[in-house]
Amino acid sequence: MSPRDLRERVVITGIGLVSPLGIGRADAWASALAGRSGAGPVTHFDASDHGAKIAFEVKGFDPLTFIDRRALRRMDRSSQLAVAAAALAIEDAGLEIPPDAERHGAVISTGNGGNATYEETHRTLLERGPDRISPVALPMIICNMAAGHVSIAYGLKGPLSCVLTACASSLHALGEAADVIRRGQADVMLAGGSEAAVTPYAMGALDASRAMSHRNDDPVGASRPFDAERDGFVLGEAGAILVLERMDLAVERGAPIVAELAGYGATSDAHHITEPQPEGSEQARAILRALASGDIDPGSVDHINAHATSTLVGDASEVQGIITALGARQAERIAVSATKSLHGHCLGATGALEAALTALAVTDQAVPPTINLDHLDPACAGVDHVLTGREQAIRTALCSGFGFGGHNAVLAICAVGA
Amino acid sequence: MRRRRVVVTGIGIVCGLGVGREDVWRNAVAGTPAGASIAGTDIGDAPVQMACPARDFVVADFVDRRLARRADRVTHFALGAGRLALADAGLEISGHGHDVGCILGTGTGGNHVRDENHTVMLQRGVDRISPFAIPYSMCNHPPAELAMQLGLRGPTMAMVTACAAGSDAIGTSAAVIRRGDAEVMLAGGTDAMITPLWIAAFDAMRVLSHHQQDPAGAARPFDVSRDGFLIGEGAAVLVLEELEYATGRGAAIICEIAGYGASADAFHITDPDPTGRSQARAMRAAIQEAGIAPSEIGYVNAHGGGSRSGDPAEVAALRRVLGEAHAAETAVSATKSMHGHCMGATGAIETALTALAVADGRIPPTINLRELDPACTGVDHVIDTMREVRLRAALTTNSGLGGHNAALVLTPWEGR
Repeated sequence: MSPRDLRERVVITGIGLVSPLGIGRADAWASALAGRSGAGPVTHFDASDHGAKIAFEVKGFDPLTFIDRRALRRMDRSSQLAVAAAALAIEDAGLEIPPDAERHGAVISTGNGGNATYEETHRTLLERGPDRISPVALPMIICNMAAGHVSIAYGLKGPLSCVLTACASSLHALGEAADVIRRGQADVMLAGGSEAAVTPYAMGALDASRAMSHRNDDPVGASRPFDAERDGFVLGEAGAILVLERMDLAVERGAPIVAELAGYGATSDAHHITEPQPEGSEQARAILRALASGDIDPGSVDHINAHATSTLVGDASEVQGIITALGARQAERIAVSATKSLHGHCLGATGALEAALTALAVTDQAVPPTINLDHLDPACAGVDHVLTGREQAIRTALCSGFGFGGHNAVLAICAVGA
Repeated sequence: MRRRRVVVTGIGIVCGLGVGREDVWRNAVAGTPAGASIAGTDIGDAPVQMACPARDFVVADFVDRRLARRADRVTHFALGAGRLALADAGLEISGHGHDVGCILGTGTGGNHVRDENHTVMLQRGVDRISPFAIPYSMCNHPPAELAMQLGLRGPTMAMVTACAAGSDAIGTSAAVIRRGDAEVMLAGGTDAMITPLWIAAFDAMRVLSHHQQDPAGAARPFDVSRDGFLIGEGAAVLVLEELEYATGRGAAIICEIAGYGASADAFHITDPDPTGRSQARAMRAAIQEAGIAPSEIGYVNAHGGGSRSGDPAEVAALRRVLGEAHAAETAVSATKSMHGHCMGATGAIETALTALAVADGRIPPTINLRELDPACTGVDHVIDTMREVRLRAALTTNSGLGGHNAALVLTPWEGR
């Protein structure tokens, strides 16, 4: 644990998940530990012309449980997932938001924002003309509107933003939100991301970038990080939001502290628009910066929730990055889980979903498995791949996220002593 | 530990007012309108046929041919402004660029690439979408591409807070330097939203000006006859450096980023908080971080979007923060009257102009302000003609759809 002043330390006190693993922290965590996949054929639209026809959709989500009918009509599904996840996070934290919540803010990210609304609106423009466009189309499309809706729904009046780094977005969101607290601009931040990109164009365009699995006849087996037969990622959708609080204030109010968000490192590959730097050198530097920023002993890293999207180059470079950062001997004993095998690649929400699972691993001292890892790719060897959910002593856990464009973010999450 | 200080050492701008710091500043000080008719361009039958296009921007001056063809205009602008900023700062990215990062604001990223590919899908099938459709349309492509082109390996991200994005990007970049995660940040914003879709969508919201007989005079912040904004486009990138790093290399310091504040309205998805209380909180936070008194603010570069409800709310916020007496003698201008509303770039362009005002001692005017709206009185509007003032501190403010407010305090550099 870092020796810093409690006022400069940030803890996670609530977790809200609306995910392919389940709705709510308990459901999602139980599915993760049990290794239950949420994959299936796409049902949100007719994907028969698409190359990738499978996805991890959120099942059983009734937005009206969280959002009134009038507000709902003005919200893309991406914002609905965020507002619902925020409600669950606030409830989980036992947080009471005061009427003039000037010290409460939010950083809610996404990869693409309101995809479904964009596609419908642009189609209307092309087929029926500019005068048929809805006045609420633009606010439903733009990427910051999930943050806006969360702020409006819960009365958060502090700093409000959306940082966007493709698939690393919501890890940067958590890191930057923690910094807002550290520099004294807020006491409580809701941070995370949401994504609802299981739509015809977004899915077609992602597939065109040649990074998606086409194992359409085996949805549950398609997302197989580190496996020799992996052939790309499977798209997921989710809302994942964490409550972050200044540690002394959280302790003072008797908040249910899950874990400490102790370190954050961000680097850039400056290498290629879609491919990661093959040796993972900048990912390694993000790991080391995350540890250094929280004065954390690298030897205390017991678990890593890997980015591992199940792409050929990405998974291998990530393991290389871990070995470069922490050394081969240390790497060998680190329990590595690629939970995208269970919930898919939720783009702008994926980092927060994985950070939530990382925090739960720390508080529960247990790690979820990577499923479908039947034949380890030799290029991904050198760490302790977790094949079955198990108990695990964890002092420090890392959560990594890497985005198209070469954005790397790593969070260090530590157990909080009694 | 002493607080790390952040200074501006380079400015690159591309917008309707010109290309490059000098060109843009000359036109801003002279009160030049960029509003123009865009009839006959590829906007088709859009209901509004005027905007503030970046007409003098030549893509080939900044972007190689292959990337120019594939990448979106929003990225072209970012590369242009980024390269201009680096040259202006006389900075060379040496070694691995580990200590240099980049945060650029944007409203919507690569619109042209997305709209083109979506059209292709609808007309020719899903298998005809380009492999570059996602990478070149995502909001983080401009900062990622700038990092790739220049070899920046520090923290790199996009900031998406609608019309406050450029200011939030600069404020957050300053925070990245202060916390020690970088020595240098390229910070700013970029947007290219003069497209059929966005013109139609903005117009459906009734936020665009319809003074179409007079494009140069259509953007009229604070005027009684204002009826909305003109969409502008472009980018501004500021080179921010940690003070000792900058002085160590003998950089020419333009000004200091002394404070940053942000707040949320938590009010409505499109309408601003009419009381101005929310914007006032962001301004106060920025002033407080700067460690100055509100009475030291001598100039405010206002958001001044020219909307019926937004402009009075902003003036109300300024009066709250500065106090009635000081507000009445504080110079205020809305440079959107000249360069239009450049969306995710606008905060960066306005911060750049504020930095130049602080360094140069000249305040660019609000143009087209013929009859002041009684609801916008109580500050000292700088109208039509630039004003020479030695500033002790200046404030720039922006607000974005979704209820984002951002404010920055800039102070002159006198070797303090």
